[in-house]
Amino acid sequence: MSEKKDMGKKALNLLRNNSVPLMFILICAVCIPLSGFSISYLFNEIVTRMGRNIFLILSLLIPIMAGMGLNFGMTLGAMAGEIAIILVADWQIWGIPGVVLAMILSIPVSVLLGLMCGKLMNMTRGREMITGYILNFFVGGGLYQLVVLYLMGTIIPIIHSSIRLPRGYGIRNTVGLANMRQCLDNQFSFTLFGAKIPLLTFIIIAAMCLFIIWFRKTKLGQDMRAVGQDMDVARDAGIKVERTRIISIILSTVFAGFGMIIYLQNIGNLPTYTAHSQIGMFCIAALLVGGASVERASIGNVFLGVVLFHLMFIVAPKAGAAITGDSMIGEYFRVFVSYAVITVALVMYETKKRRARGRAGELLARAQKEGGGNA
Amino acid sequence: MKTKKLLIRIAAILVLIAIGAVMMVIGRGHTLYFDNTTAEYNGISYEAPYKIEVNVKGEQVAKLYERERGSSTWIGQNFNMELLVTPEKGGTESAYKVSLSLPYGVDGIIVNLPAVLNGLPQDAWFEEFIPAPVEEEDVEEVNTDEFTTDDFGGMEDPEAAIE
Repeated sequence: MSEKKDMGKKALNLLRNNSVPLMFILICAVCIPLSGFSISYLFNEIVTRMGRNIFLILSLLIPIMAGMGLNFGMTLGAMAGEIAIILVADWQIWGIPGVVLAMILSIPVSVLLGLMCGKLMNMTRGREMITGYILNFFVGGGLYQLVVLYLMGTIIPIIHSSIRLPRGYGIRNTVGLANMRQCLDNQFSFTLFGAKIPLLTFIIIAAMCLFIIWFRKTKLGQDMRAVGQDMDVARDAGIKVERTRIISIILSTVFAGFGMIIYLQNIGNLPTYTAHSQIGMFCIAALLVGGASVERASIGNVFLGVVLFHLMFIVAPKAGAAITGDSMIGEYFRVFVSYAVITVALVMYETKKRRARGRAGELLARAQKEGGGNA
Repeated sequence: MKTKKLLIRIAAILVLIAIGAVMMVIGRGHTLYFDNTTAEYNGISYEAPYKIEVNVKGEQVAKLYERERGSSTWIGQNFNMELLVTPEKGGTESAYKVSLSLPYGVDGIIVNLPAVLNGLPQDAWFEEFIPAPVEEEDVEEVNTDEFTTDDFGGMEDPEAAIE
């Protein structure tokens, strides 16, 4: 009898822990037949979007490991990547060398922004996510625009009129990256079931996954995990908590910069003032859809999240049109779900935390009572 | 220990700078414009052949009759092409492999093919392509609004329009 109860409890726990991915699997299972898209089309779309997005989402894993939650500050890295890619486009460095150079150029900018973000997050401990989110507005709406709209063309030389605004300084709304477009994706690519497999991009993603696995086993990785579990215990153990947290944010920002460059080379143009604005939201939503939480995320969550989240993005408008006769409903639906999944994850995290705190309090009260009784 | 760490860090930065410098050289892109027009050099004129086919990396990028222009792109400073030249209508075609050293700082390069075929120096076959200035009436309006006011709260699929 108790075994049956245990099994039921386990199943309930499994359901509770994986409620978001299960919900998305259900949504996709209903929407795919309704959308009328062929499997090969969906496969092609998903493979393309995996190559485009996974690196960006992987950059979120390290701060989660260090207990800093979902790094909304990854947008800063995306901005660094954009600044680097504007410079590379102006210098006319094309193809893979252009991508590599953009990645190298993005590093110092990402490190500086990551350092700033990390220091700020150390000051606002426990409120890292909202700090990161608001920091995006400060850097994206202030610093980034100052650099791109006023410093580029005046202090930072921009030669090409196709990039520069007609007034002589500032960058145009869209920067064409035609000479860089899919240079990574096309290298060693092959066709499988009618879909182009971007082999080099997947090799880069695999290398990043291996790096994360290796990094977890290093001294710094172990320190981050210790800091993520309990900062006070980690400090008592001699770990420099603040420094470790800053490093985790710097790493995440640098990788986000690389991810943004991979993303932009796939797309082939840069919407200068808007490309980064929603990237953090999309990546975080995809990671949460994959079953990650604020305090726990794995590489598997990244892959599952990209597949499910983007599958929903692809099929929802058509499915919405099939159900209601209005494709706008599908559009609203997917936007609603994107925001909702972040909200649900944050609410679940807070509930869990409060429940754990309550349980700990109960245990403490019981222990005190028992102690008092004995005395 | 600290010195060793510092040295490793400096070495890593130097390696990155070196890779960046190499990328800047090997990744410099150029647009090449091929002209099949009569070249004049030192008072001697070199007639344009009837037809020239330009092959770059095994792919035909231009088929030029007299007074025609074609274009191609190239990454790096050492440009290689194969020219299939037909001197006159109905004549026999002959192939030439040509290597040119491209100037780093020039985006658009006009290559005069008859000058190249006659083995003339760079100043005979090279000319910088300067695009005609485009009259832009109004200053482009820059949209820097982070708080998008669209119906989807800025969460529309950014990738949908691309494919």
